[in-house]
Amino acid sequence: MWKEVRDREAGKILPRLFTSRVRSRRVAALQLSNHKEIISAHRGAINSIQVDLTEGRYLLSGASDASVAIYDIQQASDYGERGLIAKHRSLLFVDKQHEHGHKFAISSAIWYPIDTGLFITGSFDHDIKVWDTNTAQAIMAYKMPGKVYGTAMSSIATAHMLIAAGSADVQVRLCDIASGAFTHTLSGHRDGVMTLEWSSSSEWVLMTGGCDGAIRFWDVRQAGCFLVLDQLRSQLGRRPPLTENPLKKVNASRITPAGKNSARASPSHKRVLPGNAMKNSTASTKRHNFPRGSAAQRLHPGMSSSLNRATAHYGAVTGLRATSDGMYLLSSGSDSRLRLWDVESGCNTLVNFEAMRLQTSKPLQLAVTHDSSVVFVPCMTSIRAYHLWSGVTFQTLRGHYESVNCCYINWHDQEIYSGSNDRKILVWSPISSTVSEMEGESKAADQDNWSD
Amino acid sequence: MEMPPPPPPPEVTTPRLIEKATNSTDPEVDPRLLKAIKSAARFSDEEIRAAADALMDQMKKPHSQVRYLAVHVVDELFMRSKLFRAHFVVNLDQFLSLSVGFRKNLPLPPPSAIATNLRSKSIEILEKWNASFGIHYKQLRLGFDYLKDTLRFQFPNRIENAARMQQERRERQLRTMQILVNKFEDLKENFTSIKSDIQLTVDEIRECLGIATIEKENRLHFPPVDGEFEEPSSILLRQIRLESLKEGDKVHENSENKAIFDALRESYKLLTSKHLPSVQEWISVLVRVDATDNTFRDTALKEFIDIRNLILSVKKECSELGVSLGQNTARDEDEDLWEEGKVEAYEPSDHTLTEPSAKRRIEKSSSAESEFSVGEISSSVADRGKLLAEAPVLAWSPLLFDKWGSQSDVLANHRGLEVESHWGRVDPDAVIPAEKIAELNVHRAFYKEEPVEIRPCLAPLKKGGLCQRRDLRHCPFHGPIIPRDTEGNPIEQGLPAQACDEKHSEEADNELAEDESFNESTDLQLARQAVRNVRGRDREAKSLKRAKLARIRRHNEEVLRAAAIASTSYSAEALHDDGGAVKAKKATLASMLKKKVTARDRIADRLLNSRATDSSIRQLKLGEDSKYREAFPNQW
Repeated sequence: MWKEVRDREAGKILPRLFTSRVRSRRVAALQLSNHKEIISAHRGAINSIQVDLTEGRYLLSGASDASVAIYDIQQASDYGERGLIAKHRSLLFVDKQHEHGHKFAISSAIWYPIDTGLFITGSFDHDIKVWDTNTAQAIMAYKMPGKVYGTAMSSIATAHMLIAAGSADVQVRLCDIASGAFTHTLSGHRDGVMTLEWSSSSEWVLMTGGCDGAIRFWDVRQAGCFLVLDQLRSQLGRRPPLTENPLKKVNASRITPAGKNSARASPSHKRVLPGNAMKNSTASTKRHNFPRGSAAQRLHPGMSSSLNRATAHYGAVTGLRATSDGMYLLSSGSDSRLRLWDVESGCNTLVNFEAMRLQTSKPLQLAVTHDSSVVFVPCMTSIRAYHLWSGVTFQTLRGHYESVNCCYINWHDQEIYSGSNDRKILVWSPISSTVSEMEGESKAADQDNWSD
Repeated sequence: MEMPPPPPPPEVTTPRLIEKATNSTDPEVDPRLLKAIKSAARFSDEEIRAAADALMDQMKKPHSQVRYLAVHVVDELFMRSKLFRAHFVVNLDQFLSLSVGFRKNLPLPPPSAIATNLRSKSIEILEKWNASFGIHYKQLRLGFDYLKDTLRFQFPNRIENAARMQQERRERQLRTMQILVNKFEDLKENFTSIKSDIQLTVDEIRECLGIATIEKENRLHFPPVDGEFEEPSSILLRQIRLESLKEGDKVHENSENKAIFDALRESYKLLTSKHLPSVQEWISVLVRVDATDNTFRDTALKEFIDIRNLILSVKKECSELGVSLGQNTARDEDEDLWEEGKVEAYEPSDHTLTEPSAKRRIEKSSSAESEFSVGEISSSVADRGKLLAEAPVLAWSPLLFDKWGSQSDVLANHRGLEVESHWGRVDPDAVIPAEKIAELNVHRAFYKEEPVEIRPCLAPLKKGGLCQRRDLRHCPFHGPIIPRDTEGNPIEQGLPAQACDEKHSEEADNELAEDESFNESTDLQLARQAVRNVRGRDREAKSLKRAKLARIRRHNEEVLRAAAIASTSYSAEALHDDGGAVKAKKATLASMLKKKVTARDRIADRLLNSRATDSSIRQLKLGEDSKYREAFPNQW
């Protein structure tokens, strides 16, 4: 390590390379943290955890006992056991006793991406609530048609403040915080929607995974989904082969000819959203990530094409996570598979993630490192880390005693937080040599003791 | 642990040792093997890692006994090696699910009795680990919390229990201290009154005594108390006389001084039964109390001790003067005992004068003699004793009544029963002839078996202790019953000549050793030594020959077995079976899994098979049919 520091000083390696090396090394050394403990205030399974995106300091957790809590993960509230263990107690706790509290289990709790003044919870009592963090009051509520399975807000959005919400209903609804009403109702899934993810490269693109096994891509500026991922369409390698024209390949892979599509789709667009067609042309030129969008856009959402019936997983899609550059999408399904999709081509990259067993009944929260090298997947009672590109198991984090529902990576500190059915929130942090040295003196009790 | 652990390098020995240690039916790990494992694991880090993996493999075996022993070994290593702990806690959830069996889909394997032990043992050691290393290993805390808070397992709670006991003891102590202090405060207030009370009683006694003694001096010598005759004929009686004379010196109660004696007795009783214990109690309170006022305590203590001494001295005075109540009552009791003894002698409960009771009677009568010395038996105490010793002991019978040798007839109705209103003829003058009476009075005796004391077998048992089975000649477990010493080793008696010789020679040896220590070797001993040497040589030669023969036999057997194994599996099995039949059947891990066939099972086998149930149903139906037909005979 010191050699690298010297190299960086000498200018042999770039600062960014240095930081990424340090970070990846630290991520590789993750283990259950003995010195940082989050005292979970929940009396039910933890379903969702997230650290706020602005300060990286406040951990929001939602649990099955209809409680939601916020923990400060930087500043410990007290130190226990001879000052060795930092205990983080909840700063804010809202449960059923609260006047605006949810009645049933909270399935998802997310921060408002711009600041820590608001957070959003979705619950099985069909409600989505927007909370003011400082007063701990619900300031807005949306009534959904079914149990809410997941909510999502775009972290890069500048032009909208939409909460995408998936529920037991087939329709995905977008709730506008500014107006307090639903702006969109996206229909296309044939079953409840388990998980939602906004694209991290385009603020308009929403990806949803449903219980029908489909992953659909929606552009919120236009009607209908423009892409349904098909597990049978695959490519070898991370990128589509260069020898072939990607546009051509996409067109060829479609069963209905593009011309026909456009002929049929354009009038319907005009009918449903008269103002959209005009915007479309400008949008399509701007979007670089979806070069074959012109063909896809014209697909009618309700059209019964075989494309529209494509599935990404056998069974339900339980988790979605886009890489931070927005080029790849990871999905987990109740078929105990993890799939890596190339967003641009919409193809399955055929990375073979090693055998795993996933929880099937609940939405899972996956975590991907920012350099897109490692993905953390809750596999029953453990968390597995896989290399994203090879699918090789890289680490198994064991510590929970019941199924893990969610994990979240704190890229800034290289820590992982995980929530499980055993009501615990565990912190996984890299082994720190300084800490172990420091405790060397006080750790007299933990020594070899060979009496015979 | 999805991947099988990489095969350990050949020099790693712990996995082999662990496998050996856990493959046993004993409730504990063989201590020698455990020691070997520990010393091997201590050798290097590699060994410890291999041990952790091997133990985890053993934990996965579907047999509770193996897991139980593995848990023992894990505990031993866990408490000792830091590296082992660090390596082991990573898979703690797996270990717990295998040892506690808290997952519904992974219950503990059979046998169930050992599975229960395994669970309680694992919970206990988890608590211990958590108490000693919980700070350093988050996994331990998590596992402990999960089992305790989520699954609500009952932990033995050793530490907390100990703390609670300590707390309780402290509280109890505090309470007693408080009570003592309260008493002390009480005493402070009432000290003078208590003292004056006691002083008053003591004074009273003193006065009474004074009056009594003065009276005595004025009095003549009283004749001795009734019932004491003087018979100077024997030494014994003379002694008694002396005693009674001494008694006569003392003050005696009579009609004149009765009032004084009553008062004396009363205050004496007050003193001994109330004041003395209370003073003792106060002293103990003062000794135990942890008071601030030390000066008062010391003075009070001193005074109480003085008071106690005073009371004791007064008591002594009283007893010297012979007026204490205690002596009187003691004599009364003596007389009562005598009366009872007399009654008992004539009407023993079991109608048999057994030896001890007879002896007692003799004693009684002799004591009676000594005290009363009645004229009839005064001839000679010794004679009487001799006669009594010779006299046969008879069972009680009507014969013993005072009609010995009487030859008269007896009225049939000599008790005057009312027989008038009975039917039939009544002869009030019916007489039983004398010969009939004699016939009825013929002395009879029943044969009574001598109670034989059956000695216990006393052979040493495997689990310690001696066999307490009582059989007449032959214990079914330990063979013929022979006299044994306290440790269960047979004391040889009347054995074959050689054994006898050996014993003798041993004795001789001992003697020799003793003698040599005194430097007194005689010719006889030298001769004995020579004889023993010759015999020892003979024995040695014999045993050598025997050992040689045994070696040859063993070799032959081995060769045969090898040949058999090499030839066919069938013959190998046969040979093996042969060996098995010769040996006692050894308990194996597999045999533990077999269900024992109990009497209940056998009965169930007989009663619950389909044929039995069918037939019983048929019987019942027939019975019902016949009942119905009997009840309604006119219906078809």
